[in-house]
Amino acid sequence: MFNETVLKEIKQISGKYPTTRAALLPALYVAQREFGHLGADAYEAVSDVLGVPKAIARGVGTFYAMYKHKPMGRHIVQLCTNVSCMILGAEKLSDFLKNKYGLEPGGITPDGRFSLVIMECIGACGTAPAMLVNDDFYENLTEKYIEEILEKYK
Amino acid sequence: MITININGKEIKLEKSVTVLEAAKAAGIKIPTLCWHEQLGQYGGCRLCLVEIEKIPKLQTACTLMVTEGMVIRTETEQTAEARRGMLEFLLINHPLDCPICDKAGECELQDLVEKYGAISGRFREKKRKIPESFADPLIVRNMERCVMCTRCVRMCEGVQGASAIGVIDRGGHSHIEPFSGGRYDCEYCGNCISVCPVGAIMSRMHKHSYRPWQVTGKTETICPYCGVGCTLVLQVRDNTIKRVIPRIGSPVNNGLLCSRGRFGYEFVGSKERLTTPLIRKNGVLEEATWEEAISLVANKLSDIKAKSGSDAIAGIASPRCTNEDNYVFQKFMRTTIGTNNIDSTARMGFAGAQAFMENIFGQGATANIISGLANSDTVLVVGGDPTTANPIFGLQVRACSRKGGNILTVGQMKGLEYFNPVKADPFLYTEEVLLEGIVTALIGKKGLPGANLTLEAKIKDINTSLDDVEKKCGVPAKELARFVDILAASATPALLIGKEIVQSSGASYKLLLLSAINYLANGRIYLLSERSNEQGLLDMGCAPDLLPGYRPVASAEFRKRYETLWDTKLNEKTGLTIFEMMDAASRGSLKALYVMGENPAFNLPNSSAAATALRNLEFLVVQDIFLTETAKLADVVLPALSWAEKDGTFTNMERRIQRVRKAVNRGGMEDWRIISDISKNMGVKLNYADTEKVFHEIAAVSPLHRNLTYEDIEDGHAIYPYKGEPLRDVMEEILTSKGKAARSTGKLYLRIERPLFHSGTLSTKAPALVKIYSRAVARISAETAASLSLDEGDIVRITTKAGAIELPVSIDKAADSSTVMLTNNFEGQGAYSLMEYTIDPVTKTPVLEGVEAKIVKMTGT
Repeated sequence: MFNETVLKEIKQISGKYPTTRAALLPALYVAQREFGHLGADAYEAVSDVLGVPKAIARGVGTFYAMYKHKPMGRHIVQLCTNVSCMILGAEKLSDFLKNKYGLEPGGITPDGRFSLVIMECIGACGTAPAMLVNDDFYENLTEKYIEEILEKYK
Repeated sequence: MITININGKEIKLEKSVTVLEAAKAAGIKIPTLCWHEQLGQYGGCRLCLVEIEKIPKLQTACTLMVTEGMVIRTETEQTAEARRGMLEFLLINHPLDCPICDKAGECELQDLVEKYGAISGRFREKKRKIPESFADPLIVRNMERCVMCTRCVRMCEGVQGASAIGVIDRGGHSHIEPFSGGRYDCEYCGNCISVCPVGAIMSRMHKHSYRPWQVTGKTETICPYCGVGCTLVLQVRDNTIKRVIPRIGSPVNNGLLCSRGRFGYEFVGSKERLTTPLIRKNGVLEEATWEEAISLVANKLSDIKAKSGSDAIAGIASPRCTNEDNYVFQKFMRTTIGTNNIDSTARMGFAGAQAFMENIFGQGATANIISGLANSDTVLVVGGDPTTANPIFGLQVRACSRKGGNILTVGQMKGLEYFNPVKADPFLYTEEVLLEGIVTALIGKKGLPGANLTLEAKIKDINTSLDDVEKKCGVPAKELARFVDILAASATPALLIGKEIVQSSGASYKLLLLSAINYLANGRIYLLSERSNEQGLLDMGCAPDLLPGYRPVASAEFRKRYETLWDTKLNEKTGLTIFEMMDAASRGSLKALYVMGENPAFNLPNSSAAATALRNLEFLVVQDIFLTETAKLADVVLPALSWAEKDGTFTNMERRIQRVRKAVNRGGMEDWRIISDISKNMGVKLNYADTEKVFHEIAAVSPLHRNLTYEDIEDGHAIYPYKGEPLRDVMEEILTSKGKAARSTGKLYLRIERPLFHSGTLSTKAPALVKIYSRAVARISAETAASLSLDEGDIVRITTKAGAIELPVSIDKAADSSTVMLTNNFEGQGAYSLMEYTIDPVTKTPVLEGVEAKIVKMTGT
């Protein structure tokens, strides 16, 4: 169940839409933020607030690949491996993450600190390879630079 | 008028419909898979593609509306090619496991491929592998076979309104799942099974036990559970009911079923069924022959009649037996025995409420057509959730909401939660004040219409302001004002009355207030009924004060007519109600009781006291299909035939008479035949060649059923008031008795839970229903659980003045914190065993309000 502040936030979001069902997508984002990913608890909580049957909330949520559907680390590393990044060594960086941190694409570090998501192009071809950690953007990546960056996220 | 041309055939249409409907009307079949007549347009499967002149591409017939001059070709090389292509796509993943698929033979995909081909697939990829899910006890899902027509999801959401399943994931990974991914947490209506065109969603009950073409008998009959009277088709093989399916187009349920109707039939073949008569010898029930049992009953009843008089004998009729059974039973009591001591559990609420309403609005006031409810602009629900008490009727309320109607609820109605109800949820036991408030406000808004002065005299002085209501009931005045505004503005309101309000303190006064609301809003009344023939048994005269067709016993003028027809003198003394019978039995003035298909030792409140009263009888006869709690106390037990083994008629809550038909054979006799045998042994002939002959007599005797025949019933013409004469314009004084609100804060009160999955104890003999709802639980709120430090499943002892039982608790988020909910379905753990009661002086219904309960956690569990 959500706390009062979150309840209010979702109610407010829902007020912007003609029906509560239309507010599902943004409400699921809030739930994802609160629960870390969309699991049964998150869908049930959203269903309770919006009054939308939980099976429908789950049907909508699972349709979209960009929601997080399984438990994630505290910080999410999103690494681009599209053409420019690939040519400039993104795949090697992916191997580096695997060897150094035990972080496989789609996986999570044993300590729950990081998750790795392989991203489609994030529009940084000129400064490739590039990645996002949570909402922060990093470019011209090297193995050493990645080590420095990840140090900032505990 | 629109003229179109399909396959060279000219067709004229009144209004624009879809190409598919136009073709159907003209007798031209267009193949479909995602389309279903109970569901809306979807256009997903692309099998109904047709050629239309002047449109370059093929069009889906199920979504395209016809226009003037449209030329359509449904079977061309191009359409066949397209259909073959679509089927080839479906067969990429659909396994060719027809030899082991139960659907084979009635599979729509199989039929389509047989017709259009896709003889060999050109795809080399492997078919997707998803293991068949047996996580649910009743519904098995095989998602390899799913063709994503989404009929099940649309049925679940758009018709049933349960929204328990959805399409999960996307594209090639999409599949249908309940929320949990495994076991269903739903209403188990099984309507998803009905609409699945392939073998993806099926019932586990008959898995691998037969093929569709091996069904030897299909019998259309009426459901034995609640008062809605849904049509069921029983499919039989080897004299066993294999499957129950609905029929699209049937009255009342039109292709839909609820959990009880669909899954609750297995009691018929139960090993626990009584097979032979039993006679108590030296305190033990022993097997006996029919001759022995019948002559014993006849002799014993004759002796008691001679010794203590006719009125020392009483009979309890059955709301699960047919009209014919009940008619013969009351005739037996009135003529052979000579008493009006005949009643039934309809006295628990239905009979009293109906009589009260009919006194005000005239006979037949509650005979309103069920399917009409969906077209109301406003539905007011009071005293119980129709979606659990009468599930298919509940769907009408949901449909009403979907069509834009307003749903007004008094009290919690879980099943209507997703249907935008405008709620007035008063504190426990303060409904009286709330209803007074509504009446006052309605009079203020609409004035008194002056049509029924007797009623107006009773209500004109009611004066409870919305602020009073807010103070006493906790319903904000502003919200209630909106509630009343909707009601006042409604042109076609309907009022649904459930049992809880009829079993509350001051029931007659509340019924007066409800009548007033109905009168002021100019609505129509529906009384929820929990038994399949509760209405019928009253029609048949199974009441201490009324003869068949509702003619009062007390009137010599009416009595005379029956005396002539039955060729006997009738007792003029009004008989005992079922509760008075129990009192008389414990006092010793009632010596013998004949119980047909009823279980008073369990189904009456304070049931342990009822059992004690029954033990006090000199002679107790129980005629039933199971050895019930009551039968265990009997001196003679007579095994009867169940509903599926006999012919007859049921009358549903809208007073539609429908045919019950025999589907399976079993040795033994119908209830009425047993009674007529006993009567013969007592020297009075009640002989009928068959059930239809009994109905002939009913049609001759009951003025309400005058000249009605089985043919009329089969033609669907047996809708109230038939061809008969209801008794009109004999309004008696409206008597009411106000209640005492028996609530104090901090106390827990025991209330009856009326679960969707059970009905009486009969459903507990149906293994499938027991799998869904397997045991009695005490349902408490999270607050109560916290204050007593209880967790889900902890065993507690509930104690009331009437007794104590031990059972697990279940915590319900939505429950009221001052109540404990308990069902009355499971042997030894019925709520009624904990409920003492008083009788409302007017409606003669038991008051089950204010039963204080204590909950104690059992240690060591």
